[in-house]
Amino acid sequence: MSGWLRRHRGLIPYLFLLPGGLWLIVFFLVPIVTMASVALQEGSLGTGYRLTFNFGIFPEAIARSDTQLIRSLLFGLIVTALALLIGYPMAYTIAFRGGRYKSILLLLVILPFFTSFIIRTISWQFILADNGFLLGTLKGFGWLDERFRLLATPIAVISGITYNFLPFVVLPLYVALEKIDHRLIEAATDLYASRLQAFLRVTLPLSLPGVFAASLLSFIPAVGDYINAELLGSRNETMIGNVIQGLYLVNNDYPRASALSLILMVGILISVFIYIRVLRGQELTV
Amino acid sequence: MSDVQRTRLERAIARALRDERISRRRFLRQAGRGGLYAGGALSLPAILAACGIGPSGSPAAGASGAQATATPSPVGGGEPSGTLIFANWELYIDPGAGDDPQKSPTLAAFKDEIGVDTTYTENILDNQSFFATIQPDLEAGNPTGYDIIVMTDWMIGNMIRLGYLERMDVARDVPNFLANAADKYKDPSYDPSNLHSVPWQSGITGIAYNPALVDEEITSMAQLLDPAMIEKYSGQIGMFTEMRDSMSFALLHNGVNPEEATLADAEAARDTLLAQAPHVRDYYGNEYTDPFTRENLAITMAWSGDVFQMKFDNPDLQFVVPEEGAVLWVDNMCIPKGAEHPNDALAMMDYVYRPEVAAQMTEWINYICPVPAAQDIIRQHAAEAESAEDREYLEAVAESELVFPTEDMLSRLHSYKVLDEEEERQWNELFDEVRQG
Repeated sequence: MSGWLRRHRGLIPYLFLLPGGLWLIVFFLVPIVTMASVALQEGSLGTGYRLTFNFGIFPEAIARSDTQLIRSLLFGLIVTALALLIGYPMAYTIAFRGGRYKSILLLLVILPFFTSFIIRTISWQFILADNGFLLGTLKGFGWLDERFRLLATPIAVISGITYNFLPFVVLPLYVALEKIDHRLIEAATDLYASRLQAFLRVTLPLSLPGVFAASLLSFIPAVGDYINAELLGSRNETMIGNVIQGLYLVNNDYPRASALSLILMVGILISVFIYIRVLRGQELTV
Repeated sequence: MSDVQRTRLERAIARALRDERISRRRFLRQAGRGGLYAGGALSLPAILAACGIGPSGSPAAGASGAQATATPSPVGGGEPSGTLIFANWELYIDPGAGDDPQKSPTLAAFKDEIGVDTTYTENILDNQSFFATIQPDLEAGNPTGYDIIVMTDWMIGNMIRLGYLERMDVARDVPNFLANAADKYKDPSYDPSNLHSVPWQSGITGIAYNPALVDEEITSMAQLLDPAMIEKYSGQIGMFTEMRDSMSFALLHNGVNPEEATLADAEAARDTLLAQAPHVRDYYGNEYTDPFTRENLAITMAWSGDVFQMKFDNPDLQFVVPEEGAVLWVDNMCIPKGAEHPNDALAMMDYVYRPEVAAQMTEWINYICPVPAAQDIIRQHAAEAESAEDREYLEAVAESELVFPTEDMLSRLHSYKVLDEEEERQWNELFDEVRQG
């Protein structure tokens, strides 16, 4: 065996790639191809599905769910921006000012993961209830109109998604900020940069790989999320994930559901591509 | 009886866990659905070329399909084997110690008397997703692992059409059903002559409202669709996400019997619902009880048994069978094709139609009992109750119109339309326009 390997030394990298490659084929390529095939089929559960290469399904699916597609991308953008605004100062504080509490603070960031995603979202229903802890108190003081509500509004859904994906933003930002050599910032201030200038011209650019990873890790799942819209929203917050779920599980319309899933994937890829172009020229990998 | 009066938080947590199970189920289900074509999927050319999903219930699809056309002989007629696997919805049987349905007194008595050991699971969360989990097995002609499952009337109709249910001879094997069930439950339109199913429990989809938040007395659907009313209660109105419930609601309002509705009627129903939609807070499933008890909703569509239970927390809550009528839905026991213990399943069906057994279960479940004779037995239990609290509770059950509806109420009740596959797709798409803004 070792003799064979010695003679075919060039094959070794491919052998190392084999497990990962197989994984991708079985769990990524096959499902994608299957989904593409289902999207191009026509029929119903009762009569069976036949592959008819019905490419018309794509414009049809977009036309019937354009509102939800645009809404999902928009919610994803808002969530990513909010999560960065909230997450960056958090990660910065932990990385530069955490001191010996660093690991405890990081544990606190991860702590919500010890509880199910669904239970955490349901607890928001309690917190935001029309006459619950928060709004009930404010209404009691007469600071809010009796009919004011947060549940079943875009605010509740966007807040819910932001809350749920915040740890995914904080952790990569922390890793990027933690790696920055403090002496560089000292050098900048030695060269008469103000603290703000040092941040803008040294710290921020050096943390951009973290910002990039953090945006992808929040934007992609946020666009596809349907739990928050289902539990905290109403019909006016229906996202593309809810539409796809309904098509698969309630309407049994597998072709349109598959087509929409593919469209969503392409939509996300295009958004990410634009994002990379905007950040072009920066070192994006840590 | 404090079992019934679960606290709000406990119920919310139960629901939360159930939602978790739904999402896991959805995941598994998609994996299972994938299995239908994954056989070909492992070789890429096969996918691209041949891949199609075989029709359900066609002769080519397997033994189950072939039997759908021929008249099969009924199962049963033999001795129980001693084992029964029962899949039901949650909170749908009197539980034993620790709220454990597996320790149900009814199941224990069934074992003592008939000698059948029941494995009871609460695996059914809704008709569609449960059907999806057993459909691949039924299609392949394999046993599903269940001997009795409980499905709502329209799904029974679907499963009969697909040839997925065993035929039964109720006269021979379930005599208590014929002797004790109310006439309303015999020979239903979704399963003529009860050849495949007998009811477990049933309920009414009506309107519930909270008088603390609503000035008017609510008596009709028209009030939930009236422009001035919906403007006044904008954002405090709940409707159901279940297509059949909300569409039937609008159909009844438009003066159409849902059982006979045409596509044009369904389109008109969609328009009725669309006019109301901007003022609807949301379209809810089972979880509507949370926003309703938390006073986020003032008026909502509701299921009768839930309201009966919510009244223990807040006696002011009202349930109304609207003037225009309402839908009486029936959840039925049936035997999936290829079940391994059909004689035990039939023994169970017969057993729960004994009035004293039906009474025992109804005292806990609080939905509409299909056995009218149970009412007197519950009255008797109330008279014999040891504590005043128990007596009060049992009297409330026995005298409730939500458990034993009056003739006047029953006369206003309809069924869902039995939709064929094409109609179901059309109706779903019409309702999607309402539900997804």
